[in-house]
Amino acid sequence: MKVLVVNNAAPFIRGGAEELANNLVRQLNAVPGVEGELLRVPFRWDPAERLIDEILLNRNLRLYNVDRVIGLKFPAYLIPHSNKVLWLLHQFRQAYDLGDAGQGLADEGREGIIKAAIRRADDALFASCRSIFVNSPTTQARLRRYNAVGSQVLYPPLNDPELFRGDEVGDYIFAGGRVAPGKRQHLLIEAMGTLKAPGRLIIAGPPESDAYAQDLRHRVQRLGLEQRVELNFGFHPRARIAQWVNGARACAYLPFDEDSLGYVTMEAFAAGKAVVTTTDSGGLLELVTEQTGLVSAPDPEALAASLGALWEDVGRAARLGRSAQAAWAAREISWPATIEQLLS
Amino acid sequence: MKIVLASTFVPFINGGARFIVEWLEEKLLEHGHEVERFYLPFVDSPHDLLDQMAAYRLMDLSGVGDRLIAFRPPAYLLRHPHKILWFIHHVRTFYDLWDTEYGPPPTADNRAVRHALRHADTQALREAKAVFTNSNIVGRRLSAFNSVASETLYPPIYRPERFRCDGFGDEIVAISRVEPHKRQRLLIEALARTKTPVRLRLCGRASNPAHALELQTEIRRLGLADRIVFEDRWIAESEKADILAGALAVAYLPKDEDSYGYPSLEAAHASKAVLTTEDSGGVLELVTDRHNGLICPPFAAPLAAAMDELYRDRVLAARLGAANMARLAELGIAWDHVLARLLR
Repeated sequence: MKVLVVNNAAPFIRGGAEELANNLVRQLNAVPGVEGELLRVPFRWDPAERLIDEILLNRNLRLYNVDRVIGLKFPAYLIPHSNKVLWLLHQFRQAYDLGDAGQGLADEGREGIIKAAIRRADDALFASCRSIFVNSPTTQARLRRYNAVGSQVLYPPLNDPELFRGDEVGDYIFAGGRVAPGKRQHLLIEAMGTLKAPGRLIIAGPPESDAYAQDLRHRVQRLGLEQRVELNFGFHPRARIAQWVNGARACAYLPFDEDSLGYVTMEAFAAGKAVVTTTDSGGLLELVTEQTGLVSAPDPEALAASLGALWEDVGRAARLGRSAQAAWAAREISWPATIEQLLS
Repeated sequence: MKIVLASTFVPFINGGARFIVEWLEEKLLEHGHEVERFYLPFVDSPHDLLDQMAAYRLMDLSGVGDRLIAFRPPAYLLRHPHKILWFIHHVRTFYDLWDTEYGPPPTADNRAVRHALRHADTQALREAKAVFTNSNIVGRRLSAFNSVASETLYPPIYRPERFRCDGFGDEIVAISRVEPHKRQRLLIEALARTKTPVRLRLCGRASNPAHALELQTEIRRLGLADRIVFEDRWIAESEKADILAGALAVAYLPKDEDSYGYPSLEAAHASKAVLTTEDSGGVLELVTDRHNGLICPPFAAPLAAAMDELYRDRVLAARLGAANMARLAELGIAWDHVLARLLR
């Protein structure tokens, strides 16, 4: 079976979605009798009128020599094919929930017309697909709400689960992933500032901006945390990240209203580490509960209480970690199972 | 420099049209450029041709990268303020193959499509800052059909320095896709008529297994099983140098091909003569009879005589091979030259 994975592309920019698409293709090619290839269609969404052109152009493209299409994103998933499944990471959110939140297209005027066109194109596409998978219950709920379409949640598996085997419960909290205001590493540092316990915090990942990196450095200085908070900005090899995760007491991840579980959560769970997060972190709350981690209000004091509890009671950290690992294993999220679903 | 490479593809089909793009990409990266490569789908059926062309025209890559280099049709329709074409062929069924058995029937519809195609092509070609072709033949067609001037820029092969010559054995080698128009069958028939014990090695994958079977049958029927090796499989780049190193000469006789073909170049880098036919097309831009190869009428008897001559006269085989190597420099077939011209 020849399977074409279809994604859009912002030229010269690579992120998590591109990584997922590449891994999906690699994993498809690992299945006997399956060939996978990736189609990336350049996408430009500004000015908003472009979006109409984008819908049109993707619909005007033609495919030959392809048995199955796996569409990942608007508008590239509009390319016609009679045997298409979708695996949506998210919709074009400016026309849906972000629009409603005032961060996307307005309901009135020219933007309203463009928004309606996007929704109509999506509705028509959804009706024509073999099946629709989404990466999280959040995306599933939005599809239900905005497009009245049912879908099945199919979590993106870890790409290198063998690295995250877990090790002894150490003395530091590890916070990996992209370093950005939306991931709120500053809140962790502030929590460390109010904490009396002697534990350490390690932050590692590529900063979204120099300004935010600088902000974090200043906070560490201001709070006199140089000995207890380690900032490792930049891209790190996967093996290095796994080493940090495997040796941690627990992992911390505080995205604001994230759609999905997030790789940081999945890696921690796979390695048997409890996850510290906040009540407003979104998709990961489905997995992070009182049994598998600590969920607090998004303020430094509440967060400090979570961190403190883990430092005081290593046994508790280990117990939570073990049940996190069991909860993850019970999901049976693996590439072979995922591909079986996508090709069914 | 930030460089966008754009070409078209049929998913899951590999071949020369991808090599030129990917090998250039590797060279650009080696020279410190940033590269973004797009392969977009294209099907050359008359009915869908204009729809797809509209899609290409609607894509907006202006402001993306410092240069756009476009290859296979209709990637040249993409819009970019600094567009460079390395034009490798037209949509041939509507150009040089029109009014032949390979072209679409000359109905009113198809004539209208042809007119629109040519008009759009000419306009897009004129937008380019520079137009290069991969052969003189293609350059002449651009001039004849679109009145556009171009410069021939011969595509080099991948890492040519890996090829070597270990002397001249008994075997004439033909490495290429196994297709009727590559005429492996004619080589088999020719070998049957040779008077010396010269041998033949055919290496390459047949896209149609029935054709491979026919060739196998023919080899047995002619009692040549002990003198012909037919390796019906994809030959990796890494193997080619070893296969060619001890060859007596290289045979490459495509029917009226546009470009000189990578097999001819590989022969030159391994200091081997090229055995070809009068009707091979672009190969004749590289090969001159009795200078760096032997050119025969496309029949078994003269090809057999040429094979025998090479077998009996290894000094001739070596002299032609050395001249073939020298021919590369004469034609400027080298990556440094290519980069200098494309990015001037």
